Amino acid sequence: MSAVQQRGSLTQIELAGVTGLSPATVSNIVKELSTAGVLHTSPSTRSGRRALLVTLARNLGLVAGVHFGTRSLRVALADASMRVVADQRMPLAPDHRADTGLQRAALLVSELVASVDAGPEELLAVGVGVPAPVDVRTGRIATVGMLRGWDGVVVPEILEAELGAPVTVDNDANLGALAETRFGAAVGHEAVAYLRVSHGVGGGLVLGGRLVHGRAGVAGEIGHVTIDENGPICRCGNRGCLEMFVGANVLLGMLSESRGHLTLRDVIARAREGDPGCRRVLFDAGQHLGVAAANLCNLVDPEIVVVGGQLAEAGETLFDPLRTVLQQRTVPSIAGPVQVVASELGSAAEVRGALAVALDSVRVGGALGVVGA
Amino acid sequence: MSEHDDAPSVPDGPVLSLRGVSKSFGGVRALVDVDLEVHEREVLAVVGDNGAGKSTLAGLLSGVYRPDEGQVLLDGAPVVLGSPAAARAHGIAAVFQDLALVDDLDVVENIFLAREPQRGPFLDEITMEREAWGLLDQLAASVPSVRQAVRTLSGGQRQVVAVARALLGSPRVLVLDEPTSSLAIRQTAEVLNLIEKLRERGHAVVLVSHQAGELQAVADRIVVLRLGRVHGIVDGDTSYEDLLAAMTGAVRPGRAPRGGGPGTGSPRTEGGVLR
Repeated sequence: MSAVQQRGSLTQIELAGVTGLSPATVSNIVKELSTAGVLHTSPSTRSGRRALLVTLARNLGLVAGVHFGTRSLRVALADASMRVVADQRMPLAPDHRADTGLQRAALLVSELVASVDAGPEELLAVGVGVPAPVDVRTGRIATVGMLRGWDGVVVPEILEAELGAPVTVDNDANLGALAETRFGAAVGHEAVAYLRVSHGVGGGLVLGGRLVHGRAGVAGEIGHVTIDENGPICRCGNRGCLEMFVGANVLLGMLSESRGHLTLRDVIARAREGDPGCRRVLFDAGQHLGVAAANLCNLVDPEIVVVGGQLAEAGETLFDPLRTVLQQRTVPSIAGPVQVVASELGSAAEVRGALAVALDSVRVGGALGVVGA
Repeated sequence: MSEHDDAPSVPDGPVLSLRGVSKSFGGVRALVDVDLEVHEREVLAVVGDNGAGKSTLAGLLSGVYRPDEGQVLLDGAPVVLGSPAAARAHGIAAVFQDLALVDDLDVVENIFLAREPQRGPFLDEITMEREAWGLLDQLAASVPSVRQAVRTLSGGQRQVVAVARALLGSPRVLVLDEPTSSLAIRQTAEVLNLIEKLRERGHAVVLVSHQAGELQAVADRIVVLRLGRVHGIVDGDTSYEDLLAAMTGAVRPGRAPRGGGPGTGSPRTEGGVLR
């Protein structure tokens, strides 16, 4: 059993080799376990000969996680034990539309399900993260103008029709916060603040081990905390939001005059190579993040601050000024300064969170009464 | 791998450019007075309606066609790309819509076709197979076996083999003509990821397609061709509506941020270009 679990799938002959049992014994055991529904066998070929491929039966089903970023889509499948069995990323056009985006996501989920030789009926639930506040009870995008073409879209309505499985939707940073708390950098903490700094800027709060959503899903939207009340107008309609100081478009815009068209990843790579302009841009971003994070920490006093999103890959160039400013501006505590760490799951945090809420919904909903760990 | 270690902090000159290039096929003017340039570490997308001259442009850049008028410049110096092989020798590789794979040969043989490494009088099969896997790994490709005949592969897998062949020898410029047109969504995702990766590694990529959404996902700049002329050069993050308008000729994008030199593609359409 554990031999199959470790390798995912292998042929009966290989199984004999790995376990040291005779092929006949292995054949008997496999036959027994597949009638019991624990293993799944399928014909295949190995070095030209017929062979029997043995895999763990997925009769417990699969869940899908979908993460819409501002510039990319990521879809993953996991089995009932949260083991990721398929994962696919896809770049998206700037300000992509809800209808085509959701259709692509649905297609991608179906293709991934097919790629692991599963039928569409094995998909138990889908979790979706979008870069805008979401009313989690209905799955409706809860703001206006934050995500062009997505205003008021009820995501589950569209995806459930395409995929035939229940859909849970949440803000992507919230899902990142959940994933980091359960599987990542904030394991063991009950009060976690997660900042997602990428093309846009988002945040998620976990208090008492649970995600905080607020009235209509806007809780934790740190990207729209005011940094400069006379600052430039943000897409949300406000002035001087954090996102207008550390969002990718703003950072890249500052560099385009002297360095041409760059991506966020280029800036981070160049900063690492010592480009002073790129380092400066990241340093300033760290300071601005520190200001916003300090306000947040003074309000909710989290045990740990996790910084995710692509900008977190910049490392100490960003984290040093962030920690310094955060420390200056928070109320001194006998517990010492709050811990600030980089995301452990990196770009996979949000999609892992989406998988987690999908699996939660199945557990609560009862489709999976008992789940093996 | 080392060509971008000493990357300077200011934009380089273009790797490859076209200056006043025109090309006709019989009475059909496929391209008229085209100026264009592509830099290292840049994805230049070429978009246009059917018959706008996209494939002709790809052919000119990769040595399939020679311009009737105008020049092709490599690192600022004029070159004559007499054939695809000559273009390859200059570090320009192309993948066309038809892929040009040999169905009965296996993956390794296709990748190394006509460029087989030799050890003494024999083909160096071991090196070939190892390099083939190396190239396919870079593409995160799901090709089951490199010794399988190409005939048995899916559309996406064939596309990957064609791209792997183009990557052999690490060309500086890669021209991709409609690389996603015959692919399912997962393979499209793979190809787009691949283009991002090529850009990151310092290649210049010219991506020709009529699928505006996919171009926008990866492009730094987008050249809009219309009826054989450059109708405008826009930033990669131009809105979909503006791009669509430019493609269909509804409006002409006002700005040409970089490389859209003077005289670039006037919107006059009385050139009388047929499909």
